[in-house]
Amino acid sequence: MLPQLILNGIIAGSIYAVIAIGFTVIYRTVKFFHFAHGVVYTIGAYFAYTLIISLHFNLILSFFLSIVLAALLGIAIDRSVYYPLRQQNASNLIFLLASFGVFIFLQNLIQLIYGAQILTIRTGPIKEGHHFYGAVITDIQILILVVSIILMIFLWLFIQKTKLGKAMRAVADDPVAANVVGINPERIIRTSFAIGSALAGAAGILISFETNIEPTMGFSALLKGIIASIIGGIGSIPGAVLGGFFLGLAENLGIWKISAGWKDCIAFLILIIFLLIRPWGFLGTKTEKETI
Amino acid sequence: MDYLLHILVIAGIYIILTLSLNLIVGYTGLPALGHAAFSCIGAYTSSLLALNMGLSPWIGLLIGACVAALSGIIIGYPAVRLRGDYLALATFGLGVIVYSIAKNWVSLTRGPMGLPGIPGFSVLGFQLSEIWSYLLLVLFFVIVTVFAIKRIVNSPFGRILRSIREDEIASEALGKDTTRHKLLVFIIGAFFAGIAGSLYAHYITFIDPSSFTVMESITILLMVIFGGMGSISGSIVGAVILVVFPELLRFLGMPSSIAAPMRQMIYGLLLVVLMLKRPQGIMGAYRFK
Repeated sequence: MLPQLILNGIIAGSIYAVIAIGFTVIYRTVKFFHFAHGVVYTIGAYFAYTLIISLHFNLILSFFLSIVLAALLGIAIDRSVYYPLRQQNASNLIFLLASFGVFIFLQNLIQLIYGAQILTIRTGPIKEGHHFYGAVITDIQILILVVSIILMIFLWLFIQKTKLGKAMRAVADDPVAANVVGINPERIIRTSFAIGSALAGAAGILISFETNIEPTMGFSALLKGIIASIIGGIGSIPGAVLGGFFLGLAENLGIWKISAGWKDCIAFLILIIFLLIRPWGFLGTKTEKETI
Repeated sequence: MDYLLHILVIAGIYIILTLSLNLIVGYTGLPALGHAAFSCIGAYTSSLLALNMGLSPWIGLLIGACVAALSGIIIGYPAVRLRGDYLALATFGLGVIVYSIAKNWVSLTRGPMGLPGIPGFSVLGFQLSEIWSYLLLVLFFVIVTVFAIKRIVNSPFGRILRSIREDEIASEALGKDTTRHKLLVFIIGAFFAGIAGSLYAHYITFIDPSSFTVMESITILLMVIFGGMGSISGSIVGAVILVVFPELLRFLGMPSSIAAPMRQMIYGLLLVVLMLKRPQGIMGAYRFK
Protein backbone atom coordinates (compact mmCIF):
# COMPACT_ATOMS: atom_id res chain seq x y z
CA MET A 1 0.00 0.00 0.00
CA LEU A 2 2.69 2.46 0.99
CA PRO A 3 4.76 2.22 -2.23
CA GLN A 4 1.58 2.74 -4.25
CA LEU A 5 0.68 5.83 -2.26
CA ILE A 6 4.16 7.26 -2.72
CA LEU A 7 3.98 6.60 -6.44
CA ASN A 8 0.53 8.18 -6.69
CA GLY A 9 1.89 11.12 -4.75
CA ILE A 10 4.76 11.57 -7.18
CA ILE A 11 2.48 11.43 -10.22
CA ALA A 12 -0.04 13.85 -8.70
CA GLY A 13 2.90 15.96 -7.60
CA SER A 14 4.31 16.17 -11.12
CA ILE A 15 1.00 17.55 -12.40
CA TYR A 16 0.80 20.00 -9.48
CA ALA A 17 4.36 21.05 -10.17
CA VAL A 18 3.62 21.81 -13.84
CA ILE A 19 0.56 23.88 -12.88
CA ALA A 20 2.54 25.58 -10.13
CA ILE A 21 5.46 26.59 -12.36
CA GLY A 22 3.00 27.98 -14.89
CA PHE A 23 1.36 29.96 -12.13
CA THR A 24 4.75 31.10 -10.84
CA VAL A 25 5.98 32.26 -14.26
CA ILE A 26 2.92 34.51 -14.48
CA TYR A 27 3.06 35.59 -10.84
CA ARG A 28 6.70 36.65 -11.13
CA THR A 29 5.97 39.24 -13.77
CA VAL A 30 2.53 40.50 -12.76
CA LYS A 31 2.62 39.89 -8.96
CA PHE A 32 -1.01 38.95 -8.48
CA PHE A 33 -2.84 35.66 -8.15
CA HIS A 34 -4.02 34.68 -11.60
CA PHE A 35 -6.95 32.45 -10.59
CA ALA A 36 -8.08 31.99 -14.18
CA HIS A 37 -4.99 29.78 -14.55
CA GLY A 38 -7.18 26.89 -13.42
CA VAL A 39 -9.68 27.34 -16.21
CA VAL A 40 -6.87 27.40 -18.79
CA TYR A 41 -5.95 23.96 -17.47
CA THR A 42 -9.55 22.79 -17.95
CA ILE A 43 -9.79 24.29 -21.42
CA GLY A 44 -6.50 22.62 -22.36
CA ALA A 45 -8.10 19.27 -21.59
CA TYR A 46 -11.26 20.16 -23.53
CA PHE A 47 -9.24 21.33 -26.53
CA ALA A 48 -7.49 17.96 -26.52
CA TYR A 49 -10.84 16.20 -26.21
CA THR A 50 -12.29 18.14 -29.14
CA LEU A 51 -9.27 17.53 -31.35
CA ILE A 52 -8.83 13.85 -30.53
CA ILE A 53 -12.40 12.62 -30.12
CA SER A 54 -14.49 14.99 -32.21
CA LEU A 55 -12.04 15.83 -35.01
CA HIS A 56 -10.01 12.59 -34.95
CA PHE A 57 -6.65 14.33 -34.92
CA ASN A 58 -3.43 12.51 -34.25
CA LEU A 59 -2.56 12.28 -30.54
CA ILE A 60 0.78 14.07 -30.65
CA LEU A 61 -0.41 16.78 -33.02
CA SER A 62 -3.42 17.39 -30.74
CA PHE A 63 -1.15 17.67 -27.74
CA PHE A 64 0.92 20.44 -29.29
CA LEU A 65 -2.04 22.19 -30.92
CA SER A 66 -3.92 22.27 -27.60
CA ILE A 67 -0.87 23.74 -25.88
CA VAL A 68 -0.68 26.50 -28.49
CA LEU A 69 -4.40 27.20 -28.08
CA ALA A 70 -4.01 27.34 -24.29
CA ALA A 71 -1.15 29.84 -24.69
CA LEU A 72 -3.30 31.99 -26.97
CA LEU A 73 -6.13 31.84 -24.45
CA GLY A 74 -3.74 33.07 -21.75
CA ILE A 75 -2.71 36.02 -23.92
CA ALA A 76 -6.36 36.76 -24.73
CA ILE A 77 -7.29 36.86 -21.02
CA ASP A 78 -4.40 39.20 -20.37
CA ARG A 79 -5.29 41.54 -23.24
CA SER A 80 -9.00 41.70 -22.55
CA VAL A 81 -9.04 41.91 -18.75
CA TYR A 82 -5.64 42.49 -17.17
CA TYR A 83 -4.27 45.00 -19.65
CA PRO A 84 -7.08 47.55 -19.05
CA LEU A 85 -6.68 47.02 -15.30
CA ARG A 86 -2.94 47.68 -15.56
CA GLN A 87 -3.71 50.94 -17.36
CA GLN A 88 -5.83 51.96 -14.35
CA ASN A 89 -3.15 50.91 -11.85
CA ALA A 90 -5.68 48.63 -10.17
CA SER A 91 -4.78 46.98 -6.85
CA ASN A 92 -3.85 43.31 -6.53
CA LEU A 93 -7.21 42.39 -5.06
CA ILE A 94 -9.03 43.87 -8.02
CA PHE A 95 -6.88 41.76 -10.33
CA LEU A 96 -7.56 38.72 -8.16
CA LEU A 97 -11.33 39.21 -8.20
CA ALA A 98 -11.37 39.95 -11.92
CA SER A 99 -9.44 36.73 -12.56
CA PHE A 100 -12.00 34.94 -10.43
CA GLY A 101 -14.70 36.37 -12.66
CA VAL A 102 -12.86 35.10 -15.73
CA PHE A 103 -12.56 31.70 -14.09
CA ILE A 104 -16.28 31.46 -13.32
CA PHE A 105 -17.27 32.76 -16.74
CA LEU A 106 -15.10 30.37 -18.75
CA GLN A 107 -15.79 27.34 -16.58
CA ASN A 108 -19.51 27.77 -17.08
CA LEU A 109 -19.02 28.45 -20.77
CA ILE A 110 -17.41 25.02 -21.04
CA GLN A 111 -20.31 23.54 -19.11
CA LEU A 112 -22.74 25.23 -21.48
CA ILE A 113 -20.95 23.89 -24.55
CA TYR A 114 -19.98 20.40 -23.43
CA GLY A 115 -22.48 19.75 -20.64
CA ALA A 116 -21.76 19.03 -16.98
CA GLN A 117 -21.20 15.30 -17.44
CA ILE A 118 -17.76 13.68 -17.40
CA LEU A 119 -16.06 12.95 -20.72
CA THR A 120 -13.19 10.64 -21.47
CA ILE A 121 -10.38 10.70 -24.00
CA ARG A 122 -9.15 7.21 -23.28
CA THR A 123 -9.79 5.15 -26.40
CA GLY A 124 -8.03 1.80 -26.19
CA PRO A 125 -8.68 -0.96 -23.65
CA ILE A 126 -7.30 -0.44 -20.16
CA LYS A 127 -3.97 -2.22 -19.93
CA GLU A 128 -2.50 -3.65 -16.80
CA GLY A 129 0.33 -1.54 -15.41
CA HIS A 130 3.93 -2.46 -14.74
CA HIS A 131 4.88 -3.75 -11.33
CA PHE A 132 7.53 -1.66 -9.74
CA TYR A 133 8.75 -2.22 -6.16
CA GLY A 134 5.34 -3.29 -4.94
CA ALA A 135 3.47 -0.53 -6.78
CA VAL A 136 1.70 -0.52 -10.13
CA ILE A 137 2.42 2.15 -12.72
CA THR A 138 0.61 2.41 -16.06
CA ASP A 139 2.12 3.52 -19.37
CA ILE A 140 0.14 6.73 -19.22
CA GLN A 141 1.46 7.52 -15.77
CA ILE A 142 5.01 7.03 -16.99
CA LEU A 143 4.20 9.37 -19.89
CA ILE A 144 2.84 11.99 -17.48
CA LEU A 145 5.93 11.80 -15.32
CA VAL A 146 8.36 11.97 -18.25
CA VAL A 147 6.57 14.79 -20.07
CA SER A 148 6.24 16.85 -16.88
CA ILE A 149 9.92 16.50 -16.12
CA ILE A 150 10.81 17.44 -19.70
CA LEU A 151 8.58 20.51 -19.44
CA MET A 152 10.23 21.54 -16.18
CA ILE A 153 13.72 21.16 -17.65
CA PHE A 154 12.77 23.08 -20.81
CA LEU A 155 11.32 25.92 -18.78
CA TRP A 156 14.37 26.05 -16.56
CA LEU A 157 16.69 26.20 -19.57
CA PHE A 158 14.52 28.84 -21.22
CA ILE A 159 14.49 31.08 -18.14
CA GLN A 160 18.21 30.63 -17.46
CA LYS A 161 19.77 30.54 -20.92
CA THR A 162 17.76 32.51 -23.44
CA LYS A 163 17.69 36.26 -23.84
CA LEU A 164 13.94 36.39 -23.43
CA GLY A 165 14.22 34.31 -20.28
CA LYS A 166 16.80 36.70 -18.93
CA ALA A 167 14.49 39.62 -19.69
CA MET A 168 11.71 37.82 -17.83
CA ARG A 169 13.93 37.42 -14.80
CA ALA A 170 14.85 41.08 -15.00
CA VAL A 171 11.20 42.15 -15.00
CA ALA A 172 10.50 39.77 -12.12
CA ASP A 173 13.31 41.27 -10.05
CA ASP A 174 12.79 44.94 -10.79
CA PRO A 175 10.27 46.05 -13.41
CA VAL A 176 11.35 49.69 -13.34
CA ALA A 177 15.03 48.96 -13.86
CA ALA A 178 14.15 46.47 -16.59
CA ASN A 179 12.14 49.17 -18.34
CA VAL A 180 15.07 51.57 -18.05
CA VAL A 181 17.42 49.19 -19.84
CA GLY A 182 14.95 48.89 -22.69
CA ILE A 183 12.94 45.77 -21.92
CA ASN A 184 9.33 46.24 -23.01
CA PRO A 185 7.30 45.15 -19.95
CA GLU A 186 4.13 44.48 -21.95
CA ARG A 187 6.00 42.09 -24.21
CA ILE A 188 7.40 40.22 -21.20
CA ILE A 189 3.98 40.03 -19.56
CA ARG A 190 2.55 38.63 -22.80
CA THR A 191 5.33 36.05 -22.99
CA SER A 192 4.78 35.06 -19.37
CA PHE A 193 1.08 34.55 -19.95
CA ALA A 194 1.79 32.50 -23.06
CA ILE A 195 4.32 30.24 -21.32
CA GLY A 196 2.39 29.95 -18.06
CA SER A 197 -0.86 29.15 -19.86
CA ALA A 198 0.87 26.67 -22.15
CA LEU A 199 2.10 24.84 -19.05
CA ALA A 200 -1.40 24.87 -17.51
CA GLY A 201 -2.83 23.58 -20.77
CA ALA A 202 -0.17 20.85 -20.96
CA ALA A 203 -1.01 19.73 -17.42
CA GLY A 204 -4.70 19.62 -18.34
CA ILE A 205 -4.04 17.53 -21.44
CA LEU A 206 -1.75 15.13 -19.56
CA ILE A 207 -4.33 14.55 -16.84
CA SER A 208 -7.05 14.02 -19.45
CA PHE A 209 -5.14 10.98 -20.75
CA GLU A 210 -5.24 9.52 -17.27
CA THR A 211 -8.65 10.41 -15.83
CA ASN A 212 -12.04 11.69 -16.93
CA ILE A 213 -12.53 15.37 -17.60
CA GLU A 214 -15.34 17.61 -16.37
CA PRO A 215 -15.91 21.38 -16.41
CA THR A 216 -15.16 21.81 -12.70
CA MET A 217 -11.80 19.96 -12.80
CA GLY A 218 -9.79 23.20 -12.91
CA PHE A 219 -10.86 24.43 -9.51
CA SER A 220 -9.10 21.84 -7.40
CA ALA A 221 -6.08 21.82 -9.74
CA LEU A 222 -5.72 25.59 -9.49
CA LEU A 223 -5.82 25.48 -5.71
CA LYS A 224 -3.15 22.80 -5.64
CA GLY A 225 -1.03 24.84 -8.02
CA ILE A 226 -1.31 27.97 -5.89
CA ILE A 227 -0.69 26.08 -2.65
CA ALA A 228 2.34 24.38 -4.19
CA SER A 229 3.73 27.76 -5.31
CA ILE A 230 3.25 29.30 -1.89
CA ILE A 231 4.68 26.47 0.16
CA GLY A 232 7.58 26.24 -2.27
CA GLY A 233 8.25 29.95 -1.96
CA ILE A 234 6.13 32.26 -4.10
CA GLY A 235 7.94 33.42 -7.24
CA SER A 236 10.55 30.67 -7.15
CA ILE A 237 10.44 28.13 -9.99
CA PRO A 238 12.45 25.40 -8.22
CA GLY A 239 10.25 26.14 -5.21
CA ALA A 240 7.12 25.51 -7.27
CA VAL A 241 8.46 22.13 -8.37
CA LEU A 242 9.41 21.22 -4.81
CA GLY A 243 6.07 22.46 -3.49
CA GLY A 244 4.19 20.46 -6.13
CA PHE A 245 5.86 17.18 -5.26
CA PHE A 246 5.63 17.88 -1.54
CA LEU A 247 1.91 18.57 -1.81
CA GLY A 248 1.26 15.53 -3.99
CA LEU A 249 3.06 13.27 -1.54
CA ALA A 250 1.53 14.86 1.56
CA GLU A 251 -1.98 14.52 0.16
CA ASN A 252 -1.59 10.93 -0.89
CA LEU A 253 0.16 9.82 2.28
CA GLY A 254 -2.40 11.80 4.30
CA ILE A 255 -5.25 9.69 2.96
CA TRP A 256 -3.50 6.47 3.97
CA LYS A 257 -5.76 6.09 6.98
CA ILE A 258 -8.66 8.39 6.12
CA SER A 259 -10.93 8.64 3.09
CA ALA A 260 -9.82 10.29 -0.15
CA GLY A 261 -12.45 13.01 0.20
CA TRP A 262 -10.20 14.82 2.66
CA LYS A 263 -7.48 15.63 0.08
CA ASP A 264 -8.51 19.27 -0.41
CA CYS A 265 -8.78 19.70 3.32
CA ILE A 266 -5.22 18.40 3.85
CA ALA A 267 -3.88 20.70 1.13
CA PHE A 268 -5.41 23.80 2.66
CA LEU A 269 -4.38 22.87 6.18
CA ILE A 270 -0.80 22.66 4.90
CA LEU A 271 -1.22 26.07 3.26
CA ILE A 272 -2.57 27.71 6.40
CA ILE A 273 0.16 26.20 8.56
CA PHE A 274 2.73 27.56 6.11
CA LEU A 275 1.12 30.99 5.95
CA LEU A 276 1.28 31.25 9.73
CA ILE A 277 4.66 29.73 10.41
CA ARG A 278 6.74 30.08 7.28
CA PRO A 279 4.91 32.34 4.79
CA TRP A 280 7.92 32.63 2.51
CA GLY A 281 7.80 28.86 1.90
CA PHE A 282 10.65 26.43 1.37
CA LEU A 283 12.79 28.44 -1.00
CA GLY A 284 11.48 32.00 -0.77
CA THR A 285 13.41 34.75 0.92
CA LYS A 286 12.42 35.93 4.33
CA THR A 287 11.84 39.52 3.24
CA GLU A 288 8.73 38.39 1.40
CA LYS A 289 6.97 38.26 4.76
CA GLU A 290 6.54 42.01 4.79
CA THR A 291 4.35 41.90 1.74
CA ILE A 292 2.25 39.17 3.35
CA MET B 1 -47.76 34.27 -5.87
CA ASP B 2 -46.07 31.73 -3.63
CA TYR B 3 -43.18 31.72 -6.07
CA LEU B 4 -42.77 35.48 -5.72
CA LEU B 5 -42.87 35.20 -1.92
CA HIS B 6 -40.31 32.41 -2.09
CA ILE B 7 -37.94 34.66 -4.05
CA LEU B 8 -38.42 37.36 -1.44
CA VAL B 9 -37.61 34.95 1.41
CA ILE B 10 -34.40 33.91 -0.37
CA ALA B 11 -33.58 37.55 -1.09
CA GLY B 12 -34.09 38.34 2.62
CA ILE B 13 -31.67 35.59 3.64
CA TYR B 14 -29.12 36.90 1.13
CA ILE B 15 -29.56 40.44 2.48
CA ILE B 16 -28.47 39.19 5.92
CA LEU B 17 -25.48 37.40 4.38
CA THR B 18 -24.50 40.38 2.25
CA LEU B 19 -24.77 42.86 5.11
CA SER B 20 -22.68 40.70 7.41
CA LEU B 21 -20.02 40.24 4.74
CA ASN B 22 -20.09 43.94 3.93
CA LEU B 23 -19.08 44.63 7.52
CA ILE B 24 -15.95 42.53 6.97
CA VAL B 25 -15.19 43.44 3.35
CA GLY B 26 -16.69 46.85 2.75
CA TYR B 27 -16.30 48.53 6.14
CA THR B 28 -13.09 46.95 7.39
CA GLY B 29 -11.48 46.27 4.01
CA LEU B 30 -10.72 42.60 4.67
CA PRO B 31 -11.16 40.54 1.48
CA ALA B 32 -12.89 37.49 2.97
CA LEU B 33 -13.77 34.82 0.42
CA GLY B 34 -15.25 32.16 2.68
CA HIS B 35 -18.46 33.60 4.03
CA ALA B 36 -20.60 30.59 3.10
CA ALA B 37 -18.58 28.61 5.67
CA PHE B 38 -20.23 30.56 8.49
CA SER B 39 -23.75 30.07 7.16
CA CYS B 40 -22.89 26.40 6.67
CA ILE B 41 -21.92 26.07 10.33
CA GLY B 42 -25.04 27.94 11.46
CA ALA B 43 -27.30 25.85 9.24
CA TYR B 44 -25.83 22.49 10.25
CA THR B 45 -25.69 23.29 13.97
CA SER B 46 -29.28 24.40 14.15
CA SER B 47 -30.56 21.56 11.94
CA LEU B 48 -28.69 18.87 13.85
CA LEU B 49 -29.93 20.23 17.17
CA ALA B 50 -33.49 20.20 15.88
CA LEU B 51 -33.23 16.74 14.33
CA ASN B 52 -31.26 14.90 17.00
CA MET B 53 -32.30 16.65 20.19
CA GLY B 54 -35.70 18.04 19.21
CA LEU B 55 -34.64 21.57 20.07
CA SER B 56 -36.84 24.45 18.95
CA PRO B 57 -35.51 26.25 15.85
CA TRP B 58 -35.41 29.47 17.85
CA ILE B 59 -32.89 28.06 20.30
CA GLY B 60 -31.16 26.25 17.45
CA LEU B 61 -30.83 29.50 15.54
CA LEU B 62 -29.27 31.22 18.52
CA ILE B 63 -26.87 28.35 19.25
CA GLY B 64 -26.10 28.03 15.53
CA ALA B 65 -25.24 31.72 15.33
CA CYS B 66 -23.04 31.42 18.43
CA VAL B 67 -21.23 28.37 17.06
CA ALA B 68 -20.71 30.26 13.79
CA ALA B 69 -19.34 33.20 15.77
CA LEU B 70 -17.02 30.79 17.58
CA SER B 71 -15.85 29.46 14.22
CA GLY B 72 -15.32 33.11 13.29
CA ILE B 73 -12.62 33.15 15.97
CA ILE B 74 -11.00 30.01 14.60
CA ILE B 75 -11.19 31.17 10.98
CA GLY B 76 -10.41 34.77 11.81
CA TYR B 77 -7.38 33.93 13.92
CA PRO B 78 -5.07 32.96 11.05
CA ALA B 79 -6.85 35.23 8.58
CA VAL B 80 -6.42 38.56 10.35
CA ARG B 81 -2.69 38.00 10.59
CA LEU B 82 -2.41 38.08 6.81
CA ARG B 83 -2.89 40.88 4.33
CA GLY B 84 -4.50 41.40 0.96
CA ASP B 85 -4.20 38.48 -1.41
CA TYR B 86 -3.03 36.12 1.29
CA LEU B 87 -5.99 36.91 3.50
CA ALA B 88 -8.26 36.26 0.52
CA LEU B 89 -6.55 32.95 -0.13
CA ALA B 90 -6.59 31.85 3.52
CA THR B 91 -10.30 32.60 4.01
CA PHE B 92 -10.96 30.89 0.72
CA GLY B 93 -9.07 27.85 1.99
CA LEU B 94 -10.97 27.83 5.26
CA GLY B 95 -14.17 27.94 3.23
CA VAL B 96 -13.04 24.84 1.34
CA ILE B 97 -12.11 23.12 4.61
CA VAL B 98 -15.54 23.74 6.19
CA TYR B 99 -17.25 22.55 3.01
CA SER B 100 -15.20 19.38 2.92
CA ILE B 101 -15.89 18.71 6.60
CA ALA B 102 -19.63 19.00 5.88
CA LYS B 103 -19.18 16.65 2.94
CA ASN B 104 -16.87 14.08 4.50
CA TRP B 105 -17.90 13.82 8.15
CA VAL B 106 -20.66 11.45 7.10
CA SER B 107 -21.47 10.10 10.57
CA LEU B 108 -22.51 13.56 11.70
CA THR B 109 -23.70 15.43 8.61
CA ARG B 110 -24.69 12.47 6.37
CA GLY B 111 -22.29 13.96 3.82
CA PRO B 112 -23.59 14.55 0.29
CA MET B 113 -26.91 12.89 1.16
CA GLY B 114 -27.77 15.93 3.22
CA LEU B 115 -30.15 16.38 6.13
CA PRO B 116 -33.84 16.04 5.16
CA GLY B 117 -36.92 16.83 7.23
CA ILE B 118 -35.63 19.78 9.20
CA PRO B 119 -38.56 21.16 11.23
CA GLY B 120 -39.82 24.69 10.54
CA PHE B 121 -40.23 27.62 12.87
CA SER B 122 -43.25 28.11 15.06
CA VAL B 123 -44.35 31.29 16.83
CA LEU B 124 -46.52 31.03 19.96
CA GLY B 125 -47.59 27.56 18.98
CA PHE B 126 -48.42 28.45 15.36
CA GLN B 127 -46.39 26.58 12.77
CA LEU B 128 -45.03 28.97 10.12
CA SER B 129 -46.02 26.73 7.25
CA GLU B 130 -47.30 29.44 4.91
CA ILE B 131 -44.60 31.21 2.92
CA TRP B 132 -45.92 34.68 3.76
CA SER B 133 -45.62 33.96 7.47
CA TYR B 134 -42.04 32.82 6.94
CA LEU B 135 -41.39 35.96 4.93
CA LEU B 136 -42.45 38.01 7.96
CA LEU B 137 -40.01 36.05 10.12
CA VAL B 138 -37.16 36.63 7.66
CA LEU B 139 -38.15 40.28 7.41
CA PHE B 140 -37.90 40.54 11.18
CA PHE B 141 -34.34 39.19 11.09
CA VAL B 142 -33.44 41.44 8.16
CA ILE B 143 -34.60 44.47 10.15
CA VAL B 144 -32.67 43.31 13.21
CA THR B 145 -29.55 42.84 11.07
CA VAL B 146 -29.85 46.19 9.30
CA PHE B 147 -30.37 47.90 12.63
CA ALA B 148 -27.45 46.10 14.29
CA ILE B 149 -25.01 46.70 11.41
CA LYS B 150 -26.06 50.34 11.21
CA ARG B 151 -25.43 50.78 14.92
CA ILE B 152 -22.06 49.05 14.63
CA VAL B 153 -20.76 51.09 11.71
CA ASN B 154 -21.92 54.40 13.18
CA SER B 155 -20.39 53.73 16.58
CA PRO B 156 -16.81 54.59 17.60
CA PHE B 157 -16.08 50.93 16.99
CA GLY B 158 -17.25 51.37 13.39
CA ARG B 159 -14.97 54.37 12.97
CA ILE B 160 -12.02 52.23 14.01
CA LEU B 161 -13.07 49.67 11.41
CA ARG B 162 -13.06 52.32 8.71
CA SER B 163 -9.73 53.62 9.91
CA ILE B 164 -8.31 50.10 9.56
CA ARG B 165 -9.69 50.02 6.03
CA GLU B 166 -8.22 53.37 5.09
CA ASP B 167 -4.85 53.09 6.80
CA GLU B 168 -4.11 50.28 9.15
CA ILE B 169 -0.70 51.51 10.22
CA ALA B 170 -2.06 54.95 11.07
CA SER B 171 -4.80 53.50 13.26
CA GLU B 172 -2.24 51.28 14.96
CA ALA B 173 -0.15 54.38 15.56
CA LEU B 174 -3.17 55.91 17.30
CA GLY B 175 -3.09 53.03 19.74
CA LYS B 176 -5.91 50.93 18.31
CA ASP B 177 -5.54 47.19 18.59
CA THR B 178 -6.27 46.47 14.92
CA THR B 179 -5.83 42.69 15.15
CA ARG B 180 -8.44 42.51 17.91
CA HIS B 181 -10.85 44.68 15.95
CA LYS B 182 -10.40 42.63 12.81
CA LEU B 183 -11.06 39.45 14.78
CA LEU B 184 -14.19 40.99 16.34
CA VAL B 185 -15.46 41.91 12.88
CA PHE B 186 -15.07 38.31 11.79
CA ILE B 187 -16.97 37.14 14.85
CA ILE B 188 -19.85 39.58 14.30
CA GLY B 189 -20.01 38.80 10.58
CA ALA B 190 -19.99 35.07 11.32
CA PHE B 191 -22.77 35.46 13.89
CA PHE B 192 -25.16 37.04 11.38
CA ALA B 193 -24.15 34.62 8.64
CA GLY B 194 -24.97 31.82 11.09
CA ILE B 195 -28.46 33.28 11.55
CA ALA B 196 -28.92 33.40 7.78
CA GLY B 197 -27.77 29.78 7.42
CA SER B 198 -30.18 28.63 10.11
CA LEU B 199 -33.09 30.57 8.55
CA TYR B 200 -32.29 28.94 5.23
CA ALA B 201 -32.14 25.42 6.70
CA HIS B 202 -35.47 25.68 8.54
CA TYR B 203 -37.12 27.25 5.51
CA ILE B 204 -35.99 24.79 2.82
CA THR B 205 -36.14 21.91 5.40
CA PHE B 206 -33.26 20.20 3.61
CA ILE B 207 -29.57 21.06 3.53
CA ASP B 208 -26.57 19.45 1.90
CA PRO B 209 -22.97 20.67 1.48
CA SER B 210 -23.62 21.85 -2.10
CA SER B 211 -25.50 24.90 -0.75
CA PHE B 212 -22.34 26.13 0.94
CA THR B 213 -19.66 25.89 -1.73
CA VAL B 214 -16.93 28.42 -2.37
CA MET B 215 -18.96 29.58 -5.36
CA GLU B 216 -21.66 30.53 -2.87
CA SER B 217 -19.14 32.67 -0.97
CA ILE B 218 -18.15 34.37 -4.22
CA THR B 219 -21.80 35.04 -5.00
CA ILE B 220 -22.26 36.76 -1.63
CA LEU B 221 -19.08 38.77 -2.21
CA LEU B 222 -20.36 39.73 -5.65
CA MET B 223 -23.57 41.03 -4.04
CA VAL B 224 -21.51 43.13 -1.63
CA ILE B 225 -19.34 44.58 -4.40
CA PHE B 226 -22.19 45.07 -6.85
CA GLY B 227 -24.40 46.87 -4.35
CA GLY B 228 -21.58 48.92 -2.96
CA MET B 229 -18.66 48.38 -0.63
CA GLY B 230 -19.36 49.91 2.73
CA SER B 231 -22.99 50.77 2.00
CA ILE B 232 -25.96 49.25 3.83
CA SER B 233 -28.57 50.24 1.27
CA GLY B 234 -26.16 49.05 -1.41
CA SER B 235 -26.03 45.59 0.14
CA ILE B 236 -29.81 45.37 0.20
CA VAL B 237 -30.09 46.46 -3.42
CA GLY B 238 -27.21 44.20 -4.49
CA ALA B 239 -28.66 41.11 -2.83
CA VAL B 240 -32.18 41.70 -4.16
CA ILE B 241 -31.08 42.38 -7.74
CA LEU B 242 -28.73 39.43 -7.92
CA VAL B 243 -31.33 37.06 -6.46
CA VAL B 244 -34.20 38.29 -8.64
CA PHE B 245 -32.34 38.81 -11.90
CA PRO B 246 -31.33 35.17 -12.56
CA GLU B 247 -34.95 34.16 -11.96
CA LEU B 248 -35.83 36.12 -15.08
CA LEU B 249 -33.85 33.54 -17.06
CA ARG B 250 -36.49 31.05 -16.02
CA PHE B 251 -39.19 33.19 -17.60
CA LEU B 252 -37.29 33.12 -20.87
CA GLY B 253 -38.08 29.41 -20.85
CA MET B 254 -34.54 28.12 -20.52
CA PRO B 255 -34.11 24.56 -19.31
CA SER B 256 -32.15 24.38 -16.06
CA SER B 257 -29.17 22.69 -17.79
CA ILE B 258 -28.68 25.98 -19.65
CA ALA B 259 -30.03 28.41 -17.05
CA ALA B 260 -27.68 27.21 -14.30
CA PRO B 261 -24.37 27.78 -16.14
CA MET B 262 -25.86 30.89 -17.75
CA ARG B 263 -26.52 32.37 -14.34
CA GLN B 264 -22.95 31.65 -13.22
CA MET B 265 -21.60 33.11 -16.46
CA ILE B 266 -23.52 36.32 -15.83
CA TYR B 267 -22.08 36.44 -12.30
CA GLY B 268 -18.56 35.89 -13.61
CA LEU B 269 -18.93 38.50 -16.32
CA LEU B 270 -20.48 40.94 -13.86
CA LEU B 271 -17.51 40.49 -11.53
CA VAL B 272 -15.07 41.23 -14.36
CA VAL B 273 -17.03 44.25 -15.57
CA LEU B 274 -17.35 45.64 -12.05
CA MET B 275 -13.61 45.31 -11.48
CA LEU B 276 -12.93 47.03 -14.78
CA LYS B 277 -15.48 49.82 -14.58
CA ARG B 278 -16.65 50.34 -11.04
CA PRO B 279 -14.78 48.37 -8.35
CA GLN B 280 -16.59 50.16 -5.52
CA GLY B 281 -20.02 49.02 -6.76
CA ILE B 282 -23.09 51.06 -7.58
CA MET B 283 -23.46 52.80 -4.20
CA GLY B 284 -20.07 52.10 -2.74
CA ALA B 285 -17.59 54.37 -1.05
CA TYR B 286 -14.55 52.15 -1.03
CA ARG B 287 -12.46 50.14 -3.48
CA PHE B 288 -9.87 47.48 -2.67
CA LYS B 289 -6.41 48.82 -2.05
